[in-house]
Amino acid sequence: MIGRTAKGWFAVTLAASLVLSACGSGSGDVQTTSGAAADGGGDKVSFTIGYASGDPAARKAISDTVERFMAANPNIEIKDISDNSASSYLDWLKTKDAVGEFPDLVEMRDTEVFADAGKIVELPSDLVELFDSPPEVDGKVWNAPLALNVPQGIIYSKKAYADAGITDLPQTYDEFLEIQEKLKASGISPLVVGGKDIFHMGFWVNKFLIDDVYAKDPDWNSKKTAQEAAFADENVVQAMTDFKFLFQNYVDKGWLSTPDNQTASVLVSGKAAQLFSGTWMFSQIEEADPSFEYGFYAVPDREGHVNVIGLPSPAGWTLSAEAAKDPDKTEAIESFIRYFFEPEQYSLYLASLNGIPSTKEKVEYEASPAMQSALDLMNDPEVTKSLAINNWWGENLIPPQFRNWFYKKLQEMVVSDGDVSDYMKQIDTEYDNQVKTNAM
Amino acid sequence: MGTPASTAGLRIKEKSRRKKSSANSFALIFILPSLVLYTLFVIVPTLGSVYLSFTSWDGISEDIRFIGLANFAEIWQSPRVHNALKNTLILTVSLVLLENVAAIAMALMVDRVRWFKNLFRSLFYFPTLLSGVVMGFVWTMILNYNFGVFNQILNAVGLGSWALDWLGNPDYAMVSIILSTVWKGAGYYMIIYLAGLQGIPTELSEAASIDGANSRQQFRFITFPLLAGSLTVCMVLSTISALKIFDQIAVMTDGGPGFATETLTYIIYKVGFGELRQGFGTALALVLFVLILIVTVIQVQVLRKREVQH
Repeated sequence: MIGRTAKGWFAVTLAASLVLSACGSGSGDVQTTSGAAADGGGDKVSFTIGYASGDPAARKAISDTVERFMAANPNIEIKDISDNSASSYLDWLKTKDAVGEFPDLVEMRDTEVFADAGKIVELPSDLVELFDSPPEVDGKVWNAPLALNVPQGIIYSKKAYADAGITDLPQTYDEFLEIQEKLKASGISPLVVGGKDIFHMGFWVNKFLIDDVYAKDPDWNSKKTAQEAAFADENVVQAMTDFKFLFQNYVDKGWLSTPDNQTASVLVSGKAAQLFSGTWMFSQIEEADPSFEYGFYAVPDREGHVNVIGLPSPAGWTLSAEAAKDPDKTEAIESFIRYFFEPEQYSLYLASLNGIPSTKEKVEYEASPAMQSALDLMNDPEVTKSLAINNWWGENLIPPQFRNWFYKKLQEMVVSDGDVSDYMKQIDTEYDNQVKTNAM
Repeated sequence: MGTPASTAGLRIKEKSRRKKSSANSFALIFILPSLVLYTLFVIVPTLGSVYLSFTSWDGISEDIRFIGLANFAEIWQSPRVHNALKNTLILTVSLVLLENVAAIAMALMVDRVRWFKNLFRSLFYFPTLLSGVVMGFVWTMILNYNFGVFNQILNAVGLGSWALDWLGNPDYAMVSIILSTVWKGAGYYMIIYLAGLQGIPTELSEAASIDGANSRQQFRFITFPLLAGSLTVCMVLSTISALKIFDQIAVMTDGGPGFATETLTYIIYKVGFGELRQGFGTALALVLFVLILIVTVIQVQVLRKREVQH
């Protein structure tokens, strides 16, 4: 009996230890997987690269550039470790760090968090000169921006609009809702949303937040952190009421299990008439069906004003602190960054995802009519440029754990038909708790 | 001074003890290498990480601040953790019951079927060979709202109104995860039950049959009680496995919609890695460790009492 009990306890301890070790065995140390190695002809330098590879077009564009660079520089080897999905880039990056595989050259999106942790270093000054006033965090430039932020808007099927008798694009948000009603009446699902990847649902959340909050008060996040503003305030409640109404009435029923990478297929297959996303989707749509006819426009607010994502944010290629300790590796990474932003290389990257160049040097590629609409928005001084809730920085940086929780809470609010004001009060409580926790 | 008989008895006992002790030492030699490695690479780091549960470490910075029991206080008060605990318990109870019922049914069928015994055994066992991730992707594709086979079939047979967002609807997402996990896991437990069934002496069933017991009575009064050893093993394994479920949740629902399928193991990962709260995640892992320990010990004690030796 004693033997049996001892065996039982051992089995329990074994199983539970496995659970614990899954979380607790990470260390804060970074160990790069690459390093300089000698080959017959001289020193060969190797470094790892990591970027958000959920968008197949962007992934191909970057990996093609890497291949061309290595062909032109046989003494430099780049190991692409970007095996992440679109769901959450931060999860992947943090996991890589925990297992000692933080990339030497990384596409950084949460710059301030990783800079504060000492994981990344400033961009070398000779590289900073390549860009037009890149954003600074704590007075320092950390990133080589892959591209400028592009506006998000409605990508619509011209056929679906024609079938529903829609001839004019909306001038106000109410007209936009009338269009949704017409589409619904024509028998098509008006909007597809890739809600399984919560960042995709976040495009809509931020559209409403920008219209009702950030367009008027870009410093709202810092006020919220200081408890001078609240999610339960009238403007945020209005934004989230609009969000809830839209999702409950005009979004495809399967939105919560539709991943971002399936939205283009849903659109071109005629299951839905519209998609709210950025210009990077154009190439995915064209690849899914080259004959598909689509247009693009920004959704106006109730007064007819247009507000879009378009301010620069601190994100882009960034050197890891560990890689920066090795001069050979740093030199190799710098030469890759220079190569990446050479006009003939950079134009291929930008064309593949319809990006807007961040470099001082002029870069040109052939823009589609839809892309031209996006560029017109960016060049229009009447259009307010803003950022998503999690892309602000400095005093306006939100707790890093807040965004995903917030979006999931909004999913819950929509599916449970929750009271918006009640939910906003819960969100206020959680935000304040997270600020307090992070200050400990 | 003892009598010659009692002295002989003592000598036999002493000899038996020495023999047993020698056998134990011999066994220890074989166990030792694994034990040393396991202690070094699992037990020691695990115990070392307990300290992190008392810190506010974000998992990436050098700044590890001791905050006492604050993480545990938050766990006690957090509605999100309570929801994850509720989901974990629903999932565990459902999986343990359904997996074991399905496994016993499959084992009985495979044990009694005359033809294609090996084919059925292979078919039922096959899903267990898939990893949780692969199985999750397969079922995600099958249950996809727009392009999934399941809804396509419903549409094809005129039951389009029954087509649902199986993984996006909070009422069905958990059910979908439970059923797909039963599909994957039951075959493994079937093998254990099958071994138990094949160890039951046939004369017991024959005697019961002669006494007029029908097959249901034979199962209730002979087969099931004699399967108690297998039941204990399967219940404990399926409970531990259900309490630790992760892959299917990560692939099929990401804990959603909202927080509808977020379990303790998933929340540990999400807060530890995605939300940069390694200290809090480790505290949660410690709580899960204790939960598994308590549940398993109680389960073993209760189930062992009803085991029958034959």
